[in-house]
Amino acid sequence: MSWVIDLLQLIVLVAAAPLLRGIIGRVKALIQNRQGASIFRPYADLRKLFRKEDLVPPTASPLYRLAPIILFAATLVAVALVPTLQASSLLGLPGDFILLVYLLALGRFFLMLGAMDGGSSFGGMGASREALVSTLAEAPLLLGLVAVSVLARSTSLAGIAHWAMGRSPFQLSPVHAMAIFALALVTIAETGRVPVDNPTTHLELTMIHEAMVLEYSGPSLALIEWASAIKLNLMLSLLIALFAPWGMAATLSVGAMAMALVAYAVKLLVLALAVAVLESSVAKLRMYLVPDFLGAACALAILAVAFTALKR
Amino acid sequence: MNLVEIMAVKTLASAAVFLFITILLIAAAKRTATCVLLFAVQCAVITLQIAASAYIHRSIELLIVAILVLLIKVLAIPLALSRIRTRLKVSPDVNASTTPVQSVFIVAALILLAFVVVEPYVRAFSLDAEMLAAATAVVLTGVFLMVSHKKALMQVIGLLVLENGIFLAALATTFGMPLVIELGIFFDLLMCVLLMGVFVFRIRDTFDHVDVSKLRRLRG
Amino acid sequence: MTDVLFYLLLALLLAGPVITLIAARLRQAPAISAHLLFVALVAGALASVAMLWQGRVVSVDLSCLAPFSFSLLVDRLSAYFLLLICLVGAPVALFSGSYVERHYHGARRVWFWVLLPWFLLSMVLVVTASTAFAFLFGWELMTLFSAGLVLIDGHDGERRGNVFTYLLMMHAGAAAVFAAFMVFLPHSAGLGFAALRTAAPLLTPAARSAIFLLGFIGFGTKAGIVPLHLWLPKAHPIAPSPVSALMSGVMLKTAIYGLVRLSFDFLGTGPAWWGYLILAAGAVSGVLGVLYAIAEHDLKRLLAYHSVENIGIIYLGLGAGMIFAANHSPAWAAVALMGALLHSLNHALFKSLLFLGAGAIADAAETLDLEELGGLFSRMRVTGTVFLIGCCSIVGLPLLNGFVSEWLTFRSFIAGATLPGLAPAIVLPLMAGVLALIGGLAAACFAKVFGVAFLGRPRSVEAADAVEVPRAMQAGMAILAAACVVIGIAPVIVLRPLAGIVLQLLPGVVLPQQAFALTNMLPLIALAVIVVALILRSLCRAPRITPTWACGMPGLDSRMQYTSTAFSKPLRKVFSQVYRPERSIETLPADPPFFPHWIAYRSVRTTSFERSLYRPAINGILATANRLRRLQTGNIQVYLLYMFLALVAALIYMRFA
Repeated sequence: MSWVIDLLQLIVLVAAAPLLRGIIGRVKALIQNRQGASIFRPYADLRKLFRKEDLVPPTASPLYRLAPIILFAATLVAVALVPTLQASSLLGLPGDFILLVYLLALGRFFLMLGAMDGGSSFGGMGASREALVSTLAEAPLLLGLVAVSVLARSTSLAGIAHWAMGRSPFQLSPVHAMAIFALALVTIAETGRVPVDNPTTHLELTMIHEAMVLEYSGPSLALIEWASAIKLNLMLSLLIALFAPWGMAATLSVGAMAMALVAYAVKLLVLALAVAVLESSVAKLRMYLVPDFLGAACALAILAVAFTALKR
Repeated sequence: MNLVEIMAVKTLASAAVFLFITILLIAAAKRTATCVLLFAVQCAVITLQIAASAYIHRSIELLIVAILVLLIKVLAIPLALSRIRTRLKVSPDVNASTTPVQSVFIVAALILLAFVVVEPYVRAFSLDAEMLAAATAVVLTGVFLMVSHKKALMQVIGLLVLENGIFLAALATTFGMPLVIELGIFFDLLMCVLLMGVFVFRIRDTFDHVDVSKLRRLRG
Repeated sequence: MTDVLFYLLLALLLAGPVITLIAARLRQAPAISAHLLFVALVAGALASVAMLWQGRVVSVDLSCLAPFSFSLLVDRLSAYFLLLICLVGAPVALFSGSYVERHYHGARRVWFWVLLPWFLLSMVLVVTASTAFAFLFGWELMTLFSAGLVLIDGHDGERRGNVFTYLLMMHAGAAAVFAAFMVFLPHSAGLGFAALRTAAPLLTPAARSAIFLLGFIGFGTKAGIVPLHLWLPKAHPIAPSPVSALMSGVMLKTAIYGLVRLSFDFLGTGPAWWGYLILAAGAVSGVLGVLYAIAEHDLKRLLAYHSVENIGIIYLGLGAGMIFAANHSPAWAAVALMGALLHSLNHALFKSLLFLGAGAIADAAETLDLEELGGLFSRMRVTGTVFLIGCCSIVGLPLLNGFVSEWLTFRSFIAGATLPGLAPAIVLPLMAGVLALIGGLAAACFAKVFGVAFLGRPRSVEAADAVEVPRAMQAGMAILAAACVVIGIAPVIVLRPLAGIVLQLLPGVVLPQQAFALTNMLPLIALAVIVVALILRSLCRAPRITPTWACGMPGLDSRMQYTSTAFSKPLRKVFSQVYRPERSIETLPADPPFFPHWIAYRSVRTTSFERSLYRPAINGILATANRLRRLQTGNIQVYLLYMFLALVAALIYMRFA
């Protein structure tokens, strides 16, 4: 019956994604001495967008409305690979973290195409910048995952989580230190937070992700926003599962599940707080400094992989 | 084992990782103030390491060395460097000959080189591979900082990092040098920094800049 | 039955052009040629499928017709590459039937239908040869026929120069392959492949390394690895599109076949540095190929550079396989080899699909310059859809075939961390990062290609007037796209024959089952994605058409879109050390110096290999040749002196040797 729990994992992650965004926004507002919107605001936004009409430019092809659907579907299937409440996942298999990276790439590819279909300058600009950031972020992401996988002697995310649960929290291996750093930098780049991209900016020339979705409206925009929130939740849950999975249920009892849910919520809150504090304290990088940022992540990931062999 | 003992052991085990992180961050830093701060952090890591070692081996000498490192290298020298920096009034940029990305990759390669190079010594004398490799990497990073940066203040920081590395190497192979020698080295270091401070001001007043790449009159 | 199909393939390929020449006067001649070719290739595909399924070996001995021993033997590896040739060739033949009719007339059309079947026949000869003579015969014929096909499009000065470079480099490569076979000779009885296989263990390690290096250079020139790739972007773009598809999709794979045959079959397991050499060549080709492709805006030259990149990926898999074999880990060597061979098939399928798509674009919009295209998807639905499938496959996105082969290669790299030595445990996982970088760059490049060419507004009048291509061309592309999708969703149908092939090359190996768990789950994952997508699609209502937001300004036109050059600018700037263009700005000043008459900006990108490697080498050879010219004095007595000195030297040698 563990597939029921895995399905529950998926639903929790998908349903809680807008809440995570709301919490980050609220914390940022409090830091900036404002009152801020309610943490349930993103749900209201999604409901509003789903009820509105879809506006489509006259030059758009069928790909324009297909792109958000494929983005959402790919992100949803990617979520099924990440263990959150217990050390197993719905579609978990050996070698599934490669599939995870490439499913995210599938969604991103179609989003870039949808952006260019709008026929405006901003769509092309967003797609071109997103191409730069995602190209340079893919190598450190995969290398960081490879380093952790080699250390855990398992190639599935569930297996790595299971192995990490067996270690004590104070055993800091250099592989883990380097990999955490590298994956944290890549998470910031992949999910489009400050300092790589400002998700709340209104100036088109400072946008990367927002510029791609500038033309979208109605249910298409709702799907894109939700998929972006799910991606943030997915990356943070991935960090939790790989590096701090203690608290995950080892048995299938209700008590263990409840504790796992509470532990997951607490860890996610801590990470959300960290993201909000980081976004409020650092300025956004100029676009041509982002390759430096990702280059540092790449060097850390290479060191993490090298240490797995040097420390044997 | 009580909690303090456990913490001491964990500190010793993970010190090398933090040293690697500090040298990577110094390589990637873009402002002089950040470099001074990172040097202070590195010395703080070394202090914790010596303190942990002092607790485990119950050695008063090591404790004195730890306190000395704390006072001189974590507090006195970085404060002196900051004062020099603010009074020098040059641009806060670090002005390196390599971009931050290239520096980070070079330092990563130096770390790997350090591991490869210390392997025979580790096997012959059964030492702690991580600590010795960290010491070698810090030495190499100090030299690299001196080579790639043109500002006089950055050369001073490079020299200090280099001295950190030698100190760490001594720590890794023995239990540190005898106390008298340690005291001597510390005071030499303090004098060194103060003299360098004076020199940097004289250079700035004579030439109107502190860019060592422009000091080329001593040629054949 | 299998034998009959194979003989039918050979006979039709041989006789087809003859029939074309005879029937050239008839009006239906081109249709007859196209149909004959299609039937021949379908027969060949069926034969190879049967051979892979049953494991049969078909052999044909034609030594009676040739001065040296000439025979064909189709074992599992040959059958796989034969399937590759026929599976790609049949849709290309279908496409050419309509394409050639629209673009070429008279004598050129006849020449096309004469040279194309013989080109395919030479490739079949190469992959099924079982003697060195037959192999080299087919090898040289491949070069000659493809050069002839390239020249069909015209032979002005620049084109002739490119063809000359192509022929020169191909012959140099063939010479290296020839030399590699010759090194076997002192120990082997003749040059049949069976004799070479038995002679290989008797060679000294130095001789084996020499053979390997000569094979590496020879096959590498044909495959197009960096720095031997110079001919690729010169020859592929100037050929007719179906020919480019075959050259890029199939001809490069014959070089892979040769390398696999030479190193895995004949030489067996070698020292690890062989694997590292191939790994390095693959990594450099992969990264540089895709970086050069990003900077291009001529569609065919961009696709040619992507061929360099994909050959790099195949070499990465082959190198990993050799390293595993050298480290006594044959199970993962088999997985790496399977990844490389599967990528050969996948690349053949999607690269030829993309080149045929380029041909369709050229047919519809009369230009292949990305800066002049745009908005083609609305006007050419079928071409757009299949081209999109090709783009997604080459990027390696899941649910399509590129992902499966890249995934197998990734798995083998990660398994490299379990090897005992320090070098492979560090290098192989790092290669996973290189492969990820290549994949990311390819995604950026093809987002640019599809986005600029097919989406948005048309950037020229011809693009605005584009119409869909005829049915035959659509069908040809659709067959290739369908193959990509099928292999992507249910890769098991190709993986099982591949397992049989690697069992033949690395005997007695047991494949790790967990390496294939994902490929068995792919149909389920595909189903999940499709079901979710369909549910969401069904919830959508009809949209409202409104103009694009242009910051309140009216009249948004095609000039305001991102061009291909603009899209690739951030990446070109980050990797500027690779490109190093020569830029010049000239101004024609006028009296008030701030308002010049004109300003001209020129940016010329020549690949640095031509400047730094080839020019000095060519100059060196010419200088040496000039110096040797002095031996030819024209004086009869000097020539008699040469003969006298040779005689004396021979006598001394016989006395003292």
